This record gives sequence, structure tokens and C-alpha cells, in this order.
Amino acid sequence: MHPSVRVFSARVHQPLIKFVGKRAYPSGPAAPHAHPAAPAELKQKFSDFVRKFEASTSSPTTKPVKTADKDAFPEFWQAPERFWRPRTRTIEDFEIDAIESGGASLH
Amino acid sequence: MLTVQRIAQKSAGRRLRQQALQLGSWRGLATASEPYDVVVIGGGPGGYVAAIKAAQLGLKTACVEKRGSLGGTCLNVGCIPSKAMLNNSHLYHQAQHDFKRRGIDVSGVSLNLETMLGAKDTAVAGLTKGIEFLFKQNKVDYIKGAASFTSPTSISVDLLDGGKTEVQTKNFVIATGSEVTPFPGGAIEIDEKQIVSSTGALELQKVPEKLVVIGGGIIGLEMGSVWSRLGSEVTVVEFLGGIGGAGIDEEVAKGFQRLLTKQGIKFKLNTKVLSAEKKDGKVFLKAEAAKGGKEETLEADVVLVAIGRRPYVQGLNLEAVGVELDNKGRIVIDDQFNTSVKNIKCIGDVTFGPMLAHKAEEEGIAAVEFLKSGHGHVNYNAIPSVVYTHPEVAWVGKTEQELKAAGVQYNIGKFNFSANSRAKTNMDADGFVKILAEKETDRIVGVHIIGPNAGEMISEGVLAVEYGASSEDIARTSHAHPTLSEAFKEAAMAAHSKPIHM
Repeated sequence: MHPSVRVFSARVHQPLIKFVGKRAYPSGPAAPHAHPAAPAELKQKFSDFVRKFEASTSSPTTKPVKTADKDAFPEFWQAPERFWRPRTRTIEDFEIDAIESGGASLH
Repeated sequence: MLTVQRIAQKSAGRRLRQQALQLGSWRGLATASEPYDVVVIGGGPGGYVAAIKAAQLGLKTACVEKRGSLGGTCLNVGCIPSKAMLNNSHLYHQAQHDFKRRGIDVSGVSLNLETMLGAKDTAVAGLTKGIEFLFKQNKVDYIKGAASFTSPTSISVDLLDGGKTEVQTKNFVIATGSEVTPFPGGAIEIDEKQIVSSTGALELQKVPEKLVVIGGGIIGLEMGSVWSRLGSEVTVVEFLGGIGGAGIDEEVAKGFQRLLTKQGIKFKLNTKVLSAEKKDGKVFLKAEAAKGGKEETLEADVVLVAIGRRPYVQGLNLEAVGVELDNKGRIVIDDQFNTSVKNIKCIGDVTFGPMLAHKAEEEGIAAVEFLKSGHGHVNYNAIPSVVYTHPEVAWVGKTEQELKAAGVQYNIGKFNFSANSRAKTNMDADGFVKILAEKETDRIVGVHIIGPNAGEMISEGVLAVEYGASSEDIARTSHAHPTLSEAFKEAAMAAHSKPIHM
């Protein structure tokens, strides 16, 4: 009733392949490195790339944001969500129709 | 009263949007109330996959594409239409030259090129529409137009329907792909009629008597095969000393050339094309030995220029945001697909690595996973390459030449299809499977296949490389009999011990 003939083998084969299972990543983001397919000269100068990246800004380069006020945001979505996605109740179509028809659509 | 007016306007707006959807002019644009999380520029295999994955991860996503149909070069004028032509020209060739020895007598076999081209177009149209459907299902907004950066978080889009719109987003993924490399120095101008790129080679309205292919890489060999099967006299002119392009194993390249020569394709290796002249409905190519030598003239009805592709960034206005390019025009990225500008990532042909659709797809998924979670995965050692000629050629991992150069000790396991029962019964037994395994650990580091169905079979090699399998792992895995894949198992057996059937 042996499921395989492994016990009769001259030696037991230890599979090199490993079951990876569900991928688990560290909670923080991974640190960037040079791209594996990048040319050697760019890999050597990766620190230059990182410097450029760090110095870059997500605000428009053509129209730089001058204000440094702590309550000013270069993009509206960077402001707290309550300013641009207020939690108001969405009015249903039938309610709109009711308003437009002076209530007639409810009858 | 004011409230009522506003609601009425809102209602009218909603109705208009509904009407627009019904009319089919479906277009999703960023509203003033909410920017996108991700906007993907380019709807090719990298771009559309990135967009769908981003939406699946819960990101509000749009994809901007200026071609007017999704799928990029691959689906519209590359991998997909060429496979339609390869498959159908193979059937035609078999009917003419192969059926008889199989006991099938046919007469009156003739080519209807118009129908064959039509079948190709039908396949392309169906698949591009399929992606639009996937976009709708996954709630990806599809913006038809040409994007141009105005800031790292906004683009201006020239809409194909006319007009302009501004799209705001928190992140961009550039996936604009590549275009055909023109002949150096402008010595040969592509007109897509007599002197064609791969795009024109898929649209020839009659079979050219003589076709000269400049470039013996994957595209040149595939298109050369198509027209050779349909009746052209094909000559491939290659600057290098071997065919198959970058990454092909030398032994495979030699065997490949031998088999294609048997099929009637002529090769001129180590040969440099200098110029082309159109005269009396013909094209006269001047060529000489790559290292210099006697000049010769090649006459052709059609010339296919297939010397490679280059990154495509035209119109993106990258200078405005400061995205860095290297000296080959590729966008410089790190291993997380970040460009030199925050919030702008880049994937696919327009950046480093092989210009392959499936590589771009992997990168598309990884790039948006990085956006979402800070982690992603692409194993560049496990990206397969396939040439869809007959027989097919496929490989993954290192070649023997690369292993030698790196000083890696390795075992070779090789198994010929002529000893594989299924290949023999199919009367299609040219080629072999070659497995390269690290001597010390037996870990598979390269798989090279030339033979029937190599393009499907290579997936087993890719899995082996991805999961670090040893050749013994594969050799001890049951493969169904009789199948071509048994040749793969036997090659693995040969790498760590001995094959049974050879």
C-alpha cells in the first residue's frame, strides 16, 4: 500500500522545488534598487537616480506651488476627504422626478 | 428654489450621461470631484493589463489610448495578426506539400489571400473588442486620445473624437510601447507597400515573387516563413553570424537555420544592407559583407525591414515633467518601475528589458501592486521567448554561451523529438529539447526547445526556473504518454542521469 516506490529507491530524492505558498510581504514598502535589466552604467549611478527621484515633486513642475502654508494643499485630493467628498445622502432618481413633477410622479 | 434648480441640473446631466452611454460614445473622464488613483497611458498588453489589475485592486483607474483600439502593437499589428497568418499559411503549406505523404489526396488547393487576410482581421477585431468589454466589466475608464503631460499628476488628452480634456490622477503608469526602428541613416524609407515594416508585411495584397527580409530576428523569420509558405522566394539578410535574435542558444540557432533552409528560405549572414532603390516595380538592395567586401545587389518585389524596435514616447511631453531617458531613448526606471519623477511609473517596451508582450504584462501587474502595497514581483530570469515558425523555437533562462561566460559549471540534458513517440506518429519530429542544469545543485538554469509545440512546452521550463526546480524534480514528474512533453521529461532525465528512450 505504499503510494510510491520512493522507499525502494537507492536514495530518497529531495525535491529542490519549494512550495512558496501564499505570498507574505513585510508591512512596509520594499526599498528600491536599480532595475535588473538596466545597463551597467545606470546601475552604477543608481544613487543619482534616487537623488533625482527624491528631488522630484508630485506637484506640477510647469506651475510650481509657491505656498508653504500648512493648510494649503497643492492638489485638492490631498486635503481631508470631507472637503471634496462630503458625506451627503445621494438623492435617488425617484425623488428627483418627484421634485421635478411637483410630486405627480409619486401617484 | 435654488436647491431644486441644482437638482434639476444634476438630473439632466445624469440623463445626458445615460444617453451618451446608450449611443456608444462611452468615455470616462476624471470629474472635478475626484481624481483617478491611476491613469495608464497606453492600452497595449502592458497598459491594459495594468489598468485591469489596478481596478481589481480597488483603484479608480483610466487608460488612455490613441490608436482607437486597445491591444497595442501586439494585438493590432504584431503578435496576434502574425499568428493568424502563420497558422493559416502553415495549413495551406501542409495541404500543398504534406497531406499526400499522410494519405490525404487533395486537389485544387489554392490560396485566397483576401480571405486569409480577412480571417486575420476578424481575429484582431474580436480580441480588441474583448479588451473593451474587460474594461467595462472591471470599471476601467477608457479614454480615446493622445496624452501629453502637463504635470506629474495631470495630462492633457487630445481626444480622437475632437476636443481636449484634462485628466487628473494621483499616479501614472507609462506603457506607450515601441515602434519600428527605421533603417539607420534614412538609407531605406519604409512606404508599407514595397518596402514594408512588420505592419505592412501583414497587409500585402499579393504574394511577392521575391521577398528580401532585412534582419534575421524573430519578426523577420516569422514573416519570412509566412510568405515563403504562400509561395515567395525569401532571402533573409542578417548582419550578425546567426539567426533568431538576442538570447537564442547557438546550437538551437544553427539547427533552426538548417531547418528553415530545408524549407526553402535562403540566408545571407554577416551581411550588411547599404541602400535600396525602387525601379520598374522592383526594389534593388545593395549589400556587402558586414566586415567590408564586395558589394552585391539583391532584387526583390518586396523588402521587409525587420531590424528591431525602439521605445515610443512621441507626444508625451516628458520634458515638461522631467522624466529621464537613457541614451537609447528608454525611460529610466528602478526595480519598482518608478521613473525619475514621483508618481510616474513605467513598464513594457518603452523601458528596460526584452520587448515582449508577456514581459510587459508581468510588469503591468507588478507596477500597480507596488502602488497598492509597496511590493510586486517580476523574475526577469524566467521570461520566455518564442519564435512561432514551424518548427517553433522557445527558450527561457540562460544559454550555454552565457553560462560559460559567467563561469558556471553545468550539465546538459538533450532529447531529440525523433525519439519521441508522439512526434514520430505526428510525422513532425524535427528538433530537440535541451535542458541546462547547474552542476553542483542540479537546478535548471536554462531550457531551449526547437520542435513542434515548443511555444506551449516552454511554460514547463518557465515554471521550473521560477520555482527553482532541479532536473531530477522534472524527471521524477509523470508526463502523459504519448505526448510531446515526454521529450521534456526525457531531457531532464538526461541532465541528471540518463534518458530511457534514447
